[in-house]
Amino acid sequence: MPIKIVVPQLGESVAEGTVSKWLKAVGDRVRKEEPLVEIQTDKINVEIPSPAEGILEKIVVQEGTTVLVGTEIGQLSGAGEASESDVAAPAAMTSAAVTQAAARAAAAVSAPRGAAGATATAAPPVAPARPGAASSGNGGAEIEERNLSPAVRKMMRENNLAADEVAAIRGSGVAGRVTRDDLMQYLQSRTERPAAAPAARAAAPAVPAAPPAFLAARVAAAAGGPREEVIPFSKVRKLIAENMVRAKHTAAHTHCFDEADMGAIVALKKEWGPKLEAQGTRLTYMPFFIKASVIALREFPWVNGEVRGDSMVVKRYYNIGMAVGRDEKGLIVPNLKDCDRKNLVQIASEVNDIAARARTDRLKPDEIAGGTFSITNAGVYGAINSSPVINVPEVAILGVHKIVERPVIRDGQIVARPMMNASIGFDHRVVDGELAVKFLRRVCEILEKPELLWFYA
Amino acid sequence: MITACHLGPTPYAEGLRLQEALVGAVADRRTGDWLLFPDHPPVLTVGRGGAPGGLVADRAMLAERGIEIFDVARGGDITWHGPGQLVGYAICDLTRGRDLHRFLRGLESALIDVLAGYGIEGTRVEGRTGVWVGERKIASLGIAVRRWVSYHGFALNVAPDLRFFELIHPCGLRGVRMTSVADLLGAGAPALAEVRERAAQAVARRLDLGDVRWVGRDAVLEAAREAATAVAVR
Repeated sequence: MPIKIVVPQLGESVAEGTVSKWLKAVGDRVRKEEPLVEIQTDKINVEIPSPAEGILEKIVVQEGTTVLVGTEIGQLSGAGEASESDVAAPAAMTSAAVTQAAARAAAAVSAPRGAAGATATAAPPVAPARPGAASSGNGGAEIEERNLSPAVRKMMRENNLAADEVAAIRGSGVAGRVTRDDLMQYLQSRTERPAAAPAARAAAPAVPAAPPAFLAARVAAAAGGPREEVIPFSKVRKLIAENMVRAKHTAAHTHCFDEADMGAIVALKKEWGPKLEAQGTRLTYMPFFIKASVIALREFPWVNGEVRGDSMVVKRYYNIGMAVGRDEKGLIVPNLKDCDRKNLVQIASEVNDIAARARTDRLKPDEIAGGTFSITNAGVYGAINSSPVINVPEVAILGVHKIVERPVIRDGQIVARPMMNASIGFDHRVVDGELAVKFLRRVCEILEKPELLWFYA
Repeated sequence: MITACHLGPTPYAEGLRLQEALVGAVADRRTGDWLLFPDHPPVLTVGRGGAPGGLVADRAMLAERGIEIFDVARGGDITWHGPGQLVGYAICDLTRGRDLHRFLRGLESALIDVLAGYGIEGTRVEGRTGVWVGERKIASLGIAVRRWVSYHGFALNVAPDLRFFELIHPCGLRGVRMTSVADLLGAGAPALAEVRERAAQAVARRLDLGDVRWVGRDAVLEAAREAATAVAVR
């Protein structure tokens, strides 16, 4: 199935654009996110990334021609291999998101509430054990590998290439990423000087390979610096600390857990992600979690509210907070207003916008107030479960996690399914266990059967 | 908040590298927005709107005078940059409004505000993006966008030697004449540094970016270096 390349939405006031430059020729292979074509509108020239991996099959609109937004300007041939791997790796997100997730994972945030809901995709690709990679066994290789395309990872497995070996290749892709072509070239050059490298390695065990640059930097800092450092709380940190202590002191925190088969959502995201992306909206899993929560909240109104003195205030509007981790800047939980009145695309676009502004300190005051329920995604950093802290005065918080292929029983057979654990932290003063369990089950049910939206949304 | 910097003397190629590094950093949300003011030696740049024939001078003569020509991925046609001109690179996250034309109009408004502060009435001309004073052009704009982050920006003629524009048909528009703040105000013209300060304020105000924080060149180079390292680590 060819994938259409269209002139994306470039803003409300932008109706048309001129194809200013094709960066690839017909027959060229492109990776998802690789710059493909430039569009000029007024005096702005925009680089358009490829919506998927594939081969540029057809250029429909030539350079210099002006067309309306939404017009098909070219076609990409079936992404065969890439789309297959996508199933195995539901986290094939944009490079930016990968980098962020990787950077955060590297920062080793442990608090479950430090979870960013925004990039909400979790599930780093589950690669089968690679012989040769085990010896490298450092975090750096892991981080590196997440930024490789499924096709490249496949090639690495087939050729027994260790992650750190690949890390040393100078990539020609976006942001220096190693592409399939790079890898092929490297493999070729390796066979040209047969076995020299491995032999040298074996013969000189006394000289350890230099660690990757960033590791070296970190090690050096640790070795040379003082053994302790006093860092006064920032304003934000003080607020977080106060909120957390207040939450733990006032709400009768209790947790329960469930799991959801994410197959249907993974498929939906896979199909619709590139389409929305072509229109300028990056689709993550968070909008699905928000949508599912809102429907469940409408059925279980007591979960959507706050404790005010000796009263429970049940709210009939749905402002859904999402925890956004910001490394050293500290956690913040902005909320999306009136999510019951918005469709998934609107929510997706707002999730991206609000998360971006949360990270760059551009939230408006009312965006961090007035939430009615919150969601936190610790899966972004790799967690498969968490016991989140309630964003008081709200009475419950949903925890979502990494989507992992796990063996489960279906019709008496063991099959692999993309599974996700879900958790709920609830204030037992007002939410009974029965209610919390039923609510959480409903959320999972809606995730498992998105068609329920037809009947209940 | 937007971080501004007067970069000082900056060869065009270096400015380009710097911008590309920072675009990546902004797109990855590792830094906030930037407004950089380089002082370029005389240079000609051709945007993606460039049609053949925009260049008047012959290339041999340009080479002799040490004037380089760059093909760049910004919008717009051919233009000149050099001493006496306020060149501003706006490296901004555009995901907030997601409207490219509004961003362009915002930059135009900012430059019109700056000129108004000196009693000059800058105007827009439909279909001819830039800022005009009567029939003459005083500021040009040309933006590139990658991953919803802008780069390149604007060039306001404060007190350049306008004869340089005779090398080209500015913006590919035949018969367009350029003007400058100094040309219009004569002896009362402000210093480039003052215009720069006001331009930064105006851009922050018109793009709704909050306060302007000024940093030194080293801070910008450091940020670009960090961005490049982050890329290498990937």
